[in-house]
This record gives sequence, C-alpha cells and structure tokens, in this order.
Amino acid sequence: MIARSPLNGLPASPLPAPNGDAAAPSETDLYAQLGVLARFIDTTIKTISQFHDPMSATTEQLPEAASHLKDLKRLTEEGAHQVMRLVETIQENHKNLTQTLIELAVNLPSPLDRAMLARLEQGLNALAGDDKRLTDIITALSFQDLVAQRVNKLVTIVDAVEHKLLELVVIFGPYTKGAGAAEASKATEMLKQLEASKTTAMNQDLADEILKQFGFN
Amino acid sequence: MPADPNMKILVVDDMSTMRRIIKNILKQLGFSNMDEAENGQEALQKLRADTFGFVVSDWNMPVMPGIEMLRAIRADEKLKHIPVLMVTAEAQKENLIQAIQAGVNNYIVKPFTAETMQEKINKIFNK
Repeated sequence: MIARSPLNGLPASPLPAPNGDAAAPSETDLYAQLGVLARFIDTTIKTISQFHDPMSATTEQLPEAASHLKDLKRLTEEGAHQVMRLVETIQENHKNLTQTLIELAVNLPSPLDRAMLARLEQGLNALAGDDKRLTDIITALSFQDLVAQRVNKLVTIVDAVEHKLLELVVIFGPYTKGAGAAEASKATEMLKQLEASKTTAMNQDLADEILKQFGFN
Repeated sequence: MPADPNMKILVVDDMSTMRRIIKNILKQLGFSNMDEAENGQEALQKLRADTFGFVVSDWNMPVMPGIEMLRAIRADEKLKHIPVLMVTAEAQKENLIQAIQAGVNNYIVKPFTAETMQEKINKIFNK
C-alpha cells in the first residue's frame, strides 16, 4: 500500500523524514511511487490537452469578433451622419421659411388684416417648435459617440483576452492554426454570417439596378 | 459680457458625429465661425496658428487627450486666457476634479441637451 500525500492525491515522498523517524524506502517502493507519479502526470497532460482545441478556436475567432465590433461602430457613425444630413437640410429650409413668414408679416398691407397676422404668427411658432425638436434629434444622436466609446473599450478587452489566450495555448502545447475548428461550432457559424454580410450586403441602389436588369421598373 | 457671436470656436473631438452635433448646436445658438480638430495635438496646432475665442473639447481622444490639451493651453502664455468647455462621457468625480485643477471653465457630461450647452456658455461668458 502506497502512502498518499494530503495534497493533490500525489504519493507521499519516499525520502525519510528529516527527523529520521521513517525508515529509508526500498527500491520497490520507489518504483511504485514513480509509477503513481507518472500516471498523475499523464492524466494532467490529457486534461490540459482537452482545453487546447477550444482555446485555439477562441483565439482564432477573437480578431474577427474585434473586427465586427469596429464595423458596428462605423455603421452607427454612418447612420448618425445620414440622419444629421437630413435634419440639417430641414433646418435650412425652416430658416428660409421663417424669414419669408417674417417678411410677409412685416409687409402686410393696411388696413392690417389681424386674422392673417395671427396665422403668420401661428406658422412662425410652429416652425420654432419644430426647430427645437430638430435640435433634440441632433443631440439625441450623441448616443453614437457613447456607443463608439464602449465599442473601443470592448475591442481593447477582446485584444487583451486574445493575447492571454494565445499565451496559454503556447504554454500548453504547440499552437497549430485551425486546430480548434471542430470546437468552433455556433460561434464560427455566426462569425461566418457576419463576415459574409460584409460582402453580400447591398444598398437599395444596387438592388434597384439588379431588379432593373430583370425587367422590374 | 455675453459671448461674441463672431468669435472663432474650436470643436475638438475624435468622433466626427460628435463634432457635427456640437457645431450644429453652436450654430443654433448663433455662432457661425467654427473650426474643428480630431485630437489635442491637432487642436494646439490650430490654436497656435490662429485666433480663437473659445474651445469645446472632448476628454477621451487618441494622440492627446483633452485634459493634456487643457494643461498645455493653460501653460501657454498666448493661449491661457481662452475659455475651455469640456464635453465628455468621463462622468467620474475624479475626472471633473482633475479638469477643474487643470483650469477648465465648465464641464458637460454626455449625453447632453442644447439647453445645457447654452447654459454653460452663458455661465462662462457672463462671469
């Protein structure tokens, strides 16, 4: 019967205790102890190797995930600019319309048509109210800046995690690109779909062009 | 003394969306003379090359963050008088204290409204 160490199930040391209480182990005991130790190391290596492929897969997916996060930032930025372009056009039209209404009010023929003046004032007030709403739309778009800042932080985190995972993969065994392919499953599929959307996504102009080629008018 | 509507304003932010939003609000508030910069370093170059009356700046920017730019402005004999308004998502108390110590004139936390910006500008220029 081999004595067990209280730590990690490892066999107890075959060496005599420093105070000389235990007798020196026999050669047979020593081989038995070495056998247990060898099995322990073998089990540990197998356990670690089970994590190798999932870690490799994750390490390979992270740069793509970071790239898609950056795309998200770019898309929200483009969307915000598009809304602002439209709002700015309306703001400019409102400015011209306001000027016109003021000129009409100032140049009303006498005797003064009070009903007409009241309607012009009503129009000016409505325009002022809408101008306030347009400015609110513009300021609401600052959400994009907050999104972008969070995305930047996420990208930094993903990069750091990737770096740490790569270190672990290198420590646990030789890193082989594609080793974790079988482990990738759902995450890989999602990344593939995202990647494909970069090249296959089309805008309405392109869709209309294709429809036209097929006889749609 | 109210803010001069003709003074040149420098809007500093690394996000183009935010620069456009701030410029639009400033335009609605009656300011039309504006320029922009993507980071503190570019802003300092522009400030040294031209005459500006007001700076509206973000905090988190690559190359040179807003707080460093603010310190550089306050350390520059020719620029130190320019009022600086910080518009930032850095809503930590420590950040605000840092900005105050560096000589900021006022501080807006994102997201914000046009009214807040008007109120802050009035406070800066009506002192």
